[in-house]
Amino acid sequence: MSTLEEKRIVSESIVHLLVNGESHAVAIQPQWTLRYVLQEKLGLPGSKEFCGEGACGACTVIMDGRPVLSCMMLAIECSGKTIETIEGIAKADHPLIEAYIRHSCMQCGFCTPGFVVTAKALLDRNPDPTIEEIKEAMVGNLCRCGTYPAHIKAIQEAAAILRGGGGHGR
Amino acid sequence: MAGEEKKKMLELLDNARADKYPLPEYTSIGRRQVRRTDGYEKATGAAKYTLDVQLPGMLYGRFLTSPYPHARIISMDTSEAEAYPGVRAVLRYDDPELPDGASLGGHELNSVPPLTDIAHFQGEEVGVFVTADSEETAEQALKTIRVEWEQRPFVLDVEEALEPDAPLSNPEYNPEGNLAPSDVYLEGHGDVEKGFAEADKIIEFTFTQGLNTWVGPERPCGVWRWNGEFAEVWVKQQRPHVAKRAISTWFGGIPMNKIDIHCLYQGASFGGWSQMAWNLGGTYCAAVVAKRTGRPVKWLFNRREDFYGGEMDAGVFYLKVGAKLDGTITAVEERGVVVNQAMPVFGIAKHFLENTRVPHVHGRTEAVWVNKGPNVPTRCEQNINCYSLNHVTNRVADALGLDPLDVALKNDGAEGHDVEWMNERKAELGFPVRDSLRECIERGKAAIGWDEKYHAPGAKRLPNGRMHGLGFTWTHEWDDSAGSSEVAMYVERNDGTVSVLGCRADGGQNAETAYCQIAADELGFRVEDVRFKHQDDFGFFTMTPDTSTNLTVNGFAVRNAARILKEKILEAAVSPRGATQLTSFPPAFPDRRSDELDIKDGVIFVKADPSISMTVADFVGPSGAQGPMTSPVGEPILAGKEGLDYPMRLTPPMFEHGWQVQRGTYLGVRVRFCRQAHFMEVEVDPETGEVDITKVVTVNDVGKVINWDGCEGQAYGGAYMGVGRGRTEEVVYDKRTGIMLNGNLLNYKIPTLMDIGEVETILVESGMGYGPYGSVGIGEDVATVLPALIGPAVHNAIGRWLEGFPATPDRVLQALGKA
Repeated sequence: MSTLEEKRIVSESIVHLLVNGESHAVAIQPQWTLRYVLQEKLGLPGSKEFCGEGACGACTVIMDGRPVLSCMMLAIECSGKTIETIEGIAKADHPLIEAYIRHSCMQCGFCTPGFVVTAKALLDRNPDPTIEEIKEAMVGNLCRCGTYPAHIKAIQEAAAILRGGGGHGR
Repeated sequence: MAGEEKKKMLELLDNARADKYPLPEYTSIGRRQVRRTDGYEKATGAAKYTLDVQLPGMLYGRFLTSPYPHARIISMDTSEAEAYPGVRAVLRYDDPELPDGASLGGHELNSVPPLTDIAHFQGEEVGVFVTADSEETAEQALKTIRVEWEQRPFVLDVEEALEPDAPLSNPEYNPEGNLAPSDVYLEGHGDVEKGFAEADKIIEFTFTQGLNTWVGPERPCGVWRWNGEFAEVWVKQQRPHVAKRAISTWFGGIPMNKIDIHCLYQGASFGGWSQMAWNLGGTYCAAVVAKRTGRPVKWLFNRREDFYGGEMDAGVFYLKVGAKLDGTITAVEERGVVVNQAMPVFGIAKHFLENTRVPHVHGRTEAVWVNKGPNVPTRCEQNINCYSLNHVTNRVADALGLDPLDVALKNDGAEGHDVEWMNERKAELGFPVRDSLRECIERGKAAIGWDEKYHAPGAKRLPNGRMHGLGFTWTHEWDDSAGSSEVAMYVERNDGTVSVLGCRADGGQNAETAYCQIAADELGFRVEDVRFKHQDDFGFFTMTPDTSTNLTVNGFAVRNAARILKEKILEAAVSPRGATQLTSFPPAFPDRRSDELDIKDGVIFVKADPSISMTVADFVGPSGAQGPMTSPVGEPILAGKEGLDYPMRLTPPMFEHGWQVQRGTYLGVRVRFCRQAHFMEVEVDPETGEVDITKVVTVNDVGKVINWDGCEGQAYGGAYMGVGRGRTEEVVYDKRTGIMLNGNLLNYKIPTLMDIGEVETILVESGMGYGPYGSVGIGEDVATVLPALIGPAVHNAIGRWLEGFPATPDRVLQALGKA
């Protein structure tokens, strides 16, 4: 048996993932990333692959309350973890979504979901971030179209709505 | 411009009679925060890209890439890959079904085979296409392929490539040398020697421009499915009409109406990938394999493979400028030796010709081929023209101790004529007579604080030890407003909403919302009730996001269609309804003429008495009908569960189409009147060479703003992209091996949120554009002009000129004599 053939014999493990409040039991090969599993096995394509090596933030999901890069997480390590993706944030009608549309934060849109997820994680832990805090939180998300200034406005507006203290409301 | 030339211009472009159709009032056009039509999809991750396409039974295909910069396959053993578990097909370069040459779309000088046995750059797709049940399996199987290569000598540097004994970079295409005679482009007017003789000062300088690339967030990919004899194709390509035309020539010819093209949202590549000659190569191979396996096939590049090829501004540039002491430029002579320009070679002195009064200009572009990927217009081909105009303006100011703003204003003009001459042309053509450059400069100068902050080069050290610099650049708005566009428009039954049909690719400019605004305002509908359906092919190909001409061409087509459709609605409203085989019924508005009616917010009304009205929804009535057609009172009805009192309006389908064919600049002479001016403030660390960009002010005269968010997005987004290309982005090849060293996002640095301190975006509306309502395109502008701006800003900070770009720390230190 050649080395390559040996590599083909991989055991799949059943991993329990809690994604957007729904539990999934998924047969997972050890080398699969969380991003791959979300897209290919759970039908959640919103976590995008841009750089594929942890440099751009397009695949960000929230795991146990923290933003993580799903292209850098092995799915097998995520057993029992609570995961929130862009699809969950959209389903919950988070004010970030409308604020992002209102401020036209997307151009080609490929990286946009990753920004929304990172921003959501920021607002979860800091309901009233300063511009500097927003920049610091978002600096790991790359946008080739350069939509950056719009994100700051949208995040501030969503934060104000969440605090009940202003913004455009819904 | 001579009499004959002017006559030709007027005849060709008919600008005097060009109907710019200002509306008496704008409802959604020019309004801020019109809800983006793609906003919800893109914010929620629901937007689908070609990369996301999943089809039952779909296979995944990957290509072998060359490990060498120049090599030929002598032999290849694919037996292990063919036997690899999960592999479904192995398509080799020597397969009888692969043609020697096929039109693969894109800008191509010569036909490019889908799968060749010769690589002309490291990383080129060659030899074999492996399809398997998963991308990962295809990838693993590729590693089992054994290739015997004949390595050929290679050359990476354009100037070395011009030397007599240089290795031939592509003997198949250029057997005589690395510069084909057809790859030299000359342009100009006047007599530069005369201009130099008239000058008080001659300035000569050279600069180099590194290779940058598009970095499309969605990697190149495509999908092919045969539905029986019908081809269904998904392309990541911003030009669906070019793709379909090319595909229709394949396999002995596929009738156009048997091909369905889908052009989903595009993880943008800014021209770039879409213009590569080979961009349908993967699609061709996928089609062959899909036929053999009976399964849909998706082909993909990996991230690194998207880095080969780039913007066509890379090269070495030699300039000689003559100027009077007051800053009047008398002559510009420029020679550029550029890298792998894979489209008809583009001029480098165009902005002096189109945008200045400089009477004597000569430009010579030499497009040399080396063993790197092909370079194509990547937001955009005007880039090197912007560098040239920028450097010349600022070098002249520096050499003569003048303010660069004054040098720009002094030399503003067109086709060798001054502003006065331009003003006459503006008036002749029916444009407002405004001084666009002066307006842009005044607005930008106030925003950046030019008068307070500008200083002599190298004269201001900040308390943090860094050197403060301020830079300025300018040029015209160069949208070509060229191309053809067709759209159709249909008022939906039941609710009277409008669908606009047109196949185009979306690059994120938000042009589609702007089309909806135009349709809504022209029809008298609410913008919320208009949707542009863009991703599917039903004919109606529109101008795509090339050359900043989305809106300036398609906007006309939408406007034309909307005007025709509105006429149709109003005419039908006063005509007898229900032209069935049996009878007809009185008009919705009896005893009226169509010109007595109008539409507002989707309601048709009598202008003299708006209380007489009917909603468009009621007017067009329900979709479909069954049963008897008249009620007891003679009113047409729909019998059935809606009840007998539901009136059938029986209007004909409210469907119309509009189109526009527009000549652009390069097919005639078009004087450009709108200008842009940009400003940059920097801090340069003289110890590390690091350039910190603290503020950018962009000022664009867009003629008329249709969608504010879209225009501003292109401006501040372009500022970020431009700053990246001017400061950090460069594709680096290893000189010894010819291998690309930084084909990834860790080592090829695109800008982050923190790469500019602040961007201020100013839009001027002079009404002097050739697009609808006097608009010009803005998509390419800022990202293309901004990279050059870092040169004068850094010069103002350190008092030395950079000789190479991007302005990486090593180049800044070199300018300071520290490296």
